[in-house]
Amino acid sequence: MSAIHQVPTSVPADAILSVSDITVRFGSLVAVDGVSFQAQRGHITSVIGPNGAGKSTLFNLISGAIEPSAGRVIFDGQDLTGLPPNRMLAAGLARSFQITNLFFELPVRENLRLAAQFLEHGRGLLRPVGSSRVALQRVDELVERFRLEHKLNELAGFLSHGEQRRLEIAVALAARPRMLLLDEPTQGMSHADTQETGEMIRGLAAESLSILLVEHDVDLVMSLSDHVVVMHQGGKLAEGTPQQVRGNPAVQSAYFGDAFHA
Amino acid sequence: MRDMTVDPVLPSTSVTARLQRHPIRALAWLFFALALLFALVAGLKGDVFFFRLATEALIFGGLSLSVDLLLGRTGLLPLGQALFFGFGAYVSALVLKHGLPSFWLAMAVVLVTTTLVGLLAGVIAIRAKGVYFALISFGLAQVVSKAVFNTRELGASDGIIGVPVPQISFGLFSVDAASPAGFFLLVLIFIGILYGLLAYLMETPFGHQLAAIRTNEHRVPFLGVDPWRYKLVAFVLAANVAGLSGALYPMLRGFVSPELMFFQVSGNAIINVIVGGTGTLIGALYGSAVLTVLRSVIGTFTAHHQLVIGVIFMISVIFFPRGMIGYVVAALERRKETAP
Repeated sequence: MSAIHQVPTSVPADAILSVSDITVRFGSLVAVDGVSFQAQRGHITSVIGPNGAGKSTLFNLISGAIEPSAGRVIFDGQDLTGLPPNRMLAAGLARSFQITNLFFELPVRENLRLAAQFLEHGRGLLRPVGSSRVALQRVDELVERFRLEHKLNELAGFLSHGEQRRLEIAVALAARPRMLLLDEPTQGMSHADTQETGEMIRGLAAESLSILLVEHDVDLVMSLSDHVVVMHQGGKLAEGTPQQVRGNPAVQSAYFGDAFHA
Repeated sequence: MRDMTVDPVLPSTSVTARLQRHPIRALAWLFFALALLFALVAGLKGDVFFFRLATEALIFGGLSLSVDLLLGRTGLLPLGQALFFGFGAYVSALVLKHGLPSFWLAMAVVLVTTTLVGLLAGVIAIRAKGVYFALISFGLAQVVSKAVFNTRELGASDGIIGVPVPQISFGLFSVDAASPAGFFLLVLIFIGILYGLLAYLMETPFGHQLAAIRTNEHRVPFLGVDPWRYKLVAFVLAANVAGLSGALYPMLRGFVSPELMFFQVSGNAIINVIVGGTGTLIGALYGSAVLTVLRSVIGTFTAHHQLVIGVIFMISVIFFPRGMIGYVVAALERRKETAP
């Protein structure tokens, strides 16, 4: 059950992630109810929906934080259903967190180094940290890209909110995943920072990283996404291009509500 | 060359500059230098009592080191670490008395058996988190110590007495464990090696991963690491260090008793670590040295020495929450900041 085996059939070559009939029950509550969708390689796929729609739970199901009651998660030909989170990175899947989830008592550099250590494939585990050259080189790249050069020796807990959010994404990216799951990356950000984060996400997708995005900011989602999945009360309400989703009457009444009828 | 721990290099190579650059490393060298100085003075005076006491302090320092590996580095509170200390002491006593009176054989058997027992206890205890880990660790030690206490074959409440004092052979020369100075130096080197190994490990990705688990275990799996494995290795390592330290005890005292596994011993080791400076490793040795001597010296005046130790512990926690080493390191850093 925990073995990764190849799934040769039924998944189109360009779908990197295929979620089918994924379901989770907490007691009598069905938090996510038979949701299916696919995310294309190199695309930005977004999941939106009102509070309590089950977006974050769906995210946790895909990233292994919660075990599904039923359904399948196929990533890049591998069946990841029910695998623990620590096996996801080896498959090529990384995630960030809605509530910043860093090593707050450790310096920025060490946060990134811990995450990049994966690239050493267990080499140098018992040699001084300084000899993990691949990991340290990756840290240098990330620091430059996410503009954290001047904060390297600062404890992650002492960074500003915006810097912590940037570090959160940098940590998720450190192991060079093929797909990044971003859980509300602009959570609590100013308008300017949100725009900047949007640009950054677009830049990542341009480098053929596949992205699955859960986001509250509908404008951001509509401007960024190639494909949008709308969730409502634990189920999938609709999916399609941003235009298709915007024009969908069911989505308008359930999700956009007043904003569209006003 | 990149070194994660190196601060901007200070130009001066004076002692204070070196202290400020690698304060913990410098304080570690200071500890062993002070121990040698003590050995010189005590040796010249032909002392026995203080040599024996200092040797005991080092042996309990080894136990405290293992506690700090778990508590200060991995974030696990081992309320029953004396289990492995006492286990090592009993195994060592049995090998010396009923097997061969060989130091090396005793140490080898203790290393192997503590690995096995550590794995078994670890698999049980590491499943639990936080306070539950602490309670399982406590419970395991209680169960085993009561079992030993009631086992006639192990001497029950009397323990094992009359353990032969080994000659410790190094090929070209040998050390008699009965020699106060000789055995003190041997234990100093042995504990020094254990400390050095742990201090080295803490500078590797393995050691850093333990710190990551301590600070935020929930994020660790998403970095592709199974925290359970790392915690289990740390637990077994701590069992090895505690057991090997305990193995020295019958060589010093000639006996072992079930009290070595009692909560008193586990509790004292935790107090040593907290007073010395949690997470610094060398603080465990400083704490053990200071408190073991205090316990003995105060014990000659009053039977209520635990009362005094308790007060010292409370004062330490309230006024020096980072312990002796933490306080000194913070003071050095303040001086560095105010220095021109």
